[in-house]
Amino acid sequence: MKDDVMKTPIPVSLPPLATGLIAVAACAIFGWLFLLAESEVAVLGLVLLAVLAGWGAQKTGLSATLGTAMHQHSGAMNGAIVASLLAVIALLGTEHFPLLMLSTMLLYLVAALGLNVQFGLTGMVNFAGAAFFGIGAYTSAVLTTHTAVPPLLILLAGGLIAALIGALLIVPVVRTAGHYSAVVTIAFGVLFKTFLEVNEVLGGPQGLMVGSMNVFGWDFNNGPVLMGHEMSFYVNYALLSSGLAILAFALTRRLERSWLGLALDSVRLDETASACFGINVVRAKVLAFTYGNILAGIAGALYGMMISFIAPNSFTFSDSLLMVSIVLLGGLGSLWGSALAAVIVVLVPEKLQILQEYRFLLFSVLVIAMLLFRPQGLLPRGVRSYFPGGRAQR
Amino acid sequence: MDIGLLGQYLANGVMLGTMYALVAVGFTLFFGVLDVIKFSHGDVLMIGAFTGFTTYLGIVAIGIENPWVALVAVLVVSIATTAALGALIARYLVLPLKSAPPLNILLITLMLGTALREGVRLFYPDGSNPKAFPALLPTASLELGSFSLRADSVILVSAGIAVIIGLNLLINRTRLGLAIRAVAQDEETAKIMGINYTMIVLVTFAIGSGAAAFAGIMNGLYYNEVNFGMGLLLGLIGFSAAIIGGLGNIYGAILGGFLFAGLQTVGAVALPFASAYKDVFAFGVVIALMAWKPTGLIAERSSDRV
Amino acid sequence: MSSIKIENLYTAYDKADVLMDVSLAVEPGRITCLLGSNGAGKSTLIRSILGLTPPRAGRITVDGKDITGAPTHKVIGDGIACIPEGRRMFPKMTVSENLRLGAYQVRDEALIRERMERVFETFPRLAERRDQLAGTMSGGEQAMVSIGRGLMAGPRILLIDEPSLGLSPLYVKENFRIIESIRETGITVFLVEQNVRQTLAISDYGYVLSGGHLVAQGSAEDLRNDKEVYAAYFG
Repeated sequence: MKDDVMKTPIPVSLPPLATGLIAVAACAIFGWLFLLAESEVAVLGLVLLAVLAGWGAQKTGLSATLGTAMHQHSGAMNGAIVASLLAVIALLGTEHFPLLMLSTMLLYLVAALGLNVQFGLTGMVNFAGAAFFGIGAYTSAVLTTHTAVPPLLILLAGGLIAALIGALLIVPVVRTAGHYSAVVTIAFGVLFKTFLEVNEVLGGPQGLMVGSMNVFGWDFNNGPVLMGHEMSFYVNYALLSSGLAILAFALTRRLERSWLGLALDSVRLDETASACFGINVVRAKVLAFTYGNILAGIAGALYGMMISFIAPNSFTFSDSLLMVSIVLLGGLGSLWGSALAAVIVVLVPEKLQILQEYRFLLFSVLVIAMLLFRPQGLLPRGVRSYFPGGRAQR
Repeated sequence: MDIGLLGQYLANGVMLGTMYALVAVGFTLFFGVLDVIKFSHGDVLMIGAFTGFTTYLGIVAIGIENPWVALVAVLVVSIATTAALGALIARYLVLPLKSAPPLNILLITLMLGTALREGVRLFYPDGSNPKAFPALLPTASLELGSFSLRADSVILVSAGIAVIIGLNLLINRTRLGLAIRAVAQDEETAKIMGINYTMIVLVTFAIGSGAAAFAGIMNGLYYNEVNFGMGLLLGLIGFSAAIIGGLGNIYGAILGGFLFAGLQTVGAVALPFASAYKDVFAFGVVIALMAWKPTGLIAERSSDRV
Repeated sequence: MSSIKIENLYTAYDKADVLMDVSLAVEPGRITCLLGSNGAGKSTLIRSILGLTPPRAGRITVDGKDITGAPTHKVIGDGIACIPEGRRMFPKMTVSENLRLGAYQVRDEALIRERMERVFETFPRLAERRDQLAGTMSGGEQAMVSIGRGLMAGPRILLIDEPSLGLSPLYVKENFRIIESIRETGITVFLVEQNVRQTLAISDYGYVLSGGHLVAQGSAEDLRNDKEVYAAYFG
């Protein structure tokens, strides 16, 4: 685990890069074991191990070393992370359920990254994340069953429709601040689910079937064959979700580090001062809101295709709160924080079935504790640094 | 349109308006004294309704049959419990975050609302299913042509309006109300006047939460049902009503509550074929109102509190 | 008659020290003043006494009773009242409601009415406007309400923070005259001011605060005649 508290790293005999690569490999093996773990005892043990490892990494200064590795060798480290993600997918190969969980987590991460740009960078909290996710899913349901639009384009359409419907909210959201804009998104989040439930065209409470993904003639319902072994068809979705998550991560990182990201930051910190320095506050907010909704919509569209059946109950206000929880638990504006929190919020209850029923309760209590005792989140965002050649840390 | 039916709509609208106003007044009081949105308010209301329901079961269990005795017991226990809950929330979740970014209090109370909701769903016996709330009020009705005026409705509305008037008198005519208004207008000067600030904040949260419990019991008696999710919608409606009325203004909150009920009723009259969409319509109107008048119909001035 | 004693007081906001090792005494039945320029820490001293910004170290006693760091409403309960800087009306309340709040801790309604009548005798103008919203009054009228509100509590000690701030010279003169008359009723006054000449004219004893340190003290007459202090701090 990484942490931005810059303690002096305890001199480890290995250089930061080597330590970092070993840590990534360890995380990958851990993830693989975790996804495959069957018994609740095993899962609990692994969760405990992760907590201990995270705590130990902070105590020994390992996290600081990892921070240095991410900072100085970002190319190699990011490459290693992508490679180990692919390796985990390949190792899971024929396991349907773990692959589905991994993909779900990655798609939630995509949506959470979008929310993070809205909330963490720009300071506009969106309590309708699950609604925009749902808009994407319903778009893909309608388009896959009623039209011949190529499914890859449907992903974009999901994002686009989410952005368009979001545009209806832009006027009230941008014109209002704080509490008032919160009520707009809360109202929309509740409205969306109520609307789906009473709308017969969209299947009412029962929901809709969704067609599968199809890339250039390759139907995602077929499992890919690797060296003579047929793998789970979820490998397709896991790979595409990974691609989407990596793309979203890279884009969001670029956005954060660009001048635009700086503008968004300044809007969050002080709207009036930003306006005085010539930042177009309205444009910054519209940009952040639209960007976030597009990401949620695209992720939702792929999610719909993957689970092939969607219903209003998957896109409730509580689900929106769960997405906000991911952003808050990870740390506002911290992208790796969102990734870690997505793992905790999505994967842990899926693996610990006893928790599944209690997940809204569990995470609401966790967020309350977080807000009281560690409001900066699990992996707080680093401070921007503008030394020559330097970049915002993580 | 049939006069009788119109009367029915009107009676229903007044009933809803009273309930919404009671919830909105709470939001306005909290915002007045502390500048915070306590979003768990709706779920606190739900706790109030469930406490009342549980009290009723207890009363029946010890063999008391008289509905009036039961009603008084239900109201007293429910309001007292909920008021205490409100004060506890203020003390342990809201006041500690007073100097944090204001959004954190909104978030922490949203999460608390979820926790309360989920807590009842998971831990109340058979909590995920609606509970049949007893009809404790006389159900005799007065027939005026096709319009029937039921005694229980009349009692409920009168009692609700009496509570609103009582709250208003409390705020504007008593020493406690004077202190609440002083804290709302200028926290520090209020302290210099010798007002025990923390105490006033806790009492205010207790009063607002007690009013919500009353609205929750009203809701249970009117619909003869309580369920774990009832607070989410009522809370959101109360919040919207408070905002429409310009947060922090007690008359605005009352007006907002009746306006919201009016909108829903008009929606139901105008779009009878789409009655399923009445909540969608109401929230659509809230969003549109926010676009048109971002700070509510009665604009909030920083000095215009409570 | 009552007194305040402050010993070795340190007060800080976050990390910035504002008061450093301040010791002073407010003698019973007299007007003691604290002079100093903007940012010298004068208002912080008042806030420390009232418990609004509790001190980091040191001791504040009222008639021998330790009130260091006590919550504000307890300090007020010990017979201290304050006329805050900038008058601080409750703008959406009437004049009588503002006055009523001054006597918040008084439970005897008859006593409150009696005191209010006395305030109206001192400021006949307020009697005419008792139902007007305080926020709609002129600065001079608000100053009257503020002083009246401070007297409503029937304090033994009155802290007055910059009464001349933002007022026309005519009102300033009038206010100082009233403060002088407050002493005659046996109330101990601690007056914090920037307006050196007029303050020393009515005070019995004075302290000078600069950069968080006490730099001079003496009887009002001595301070008036101390050319060095004048040159160094009041230029």
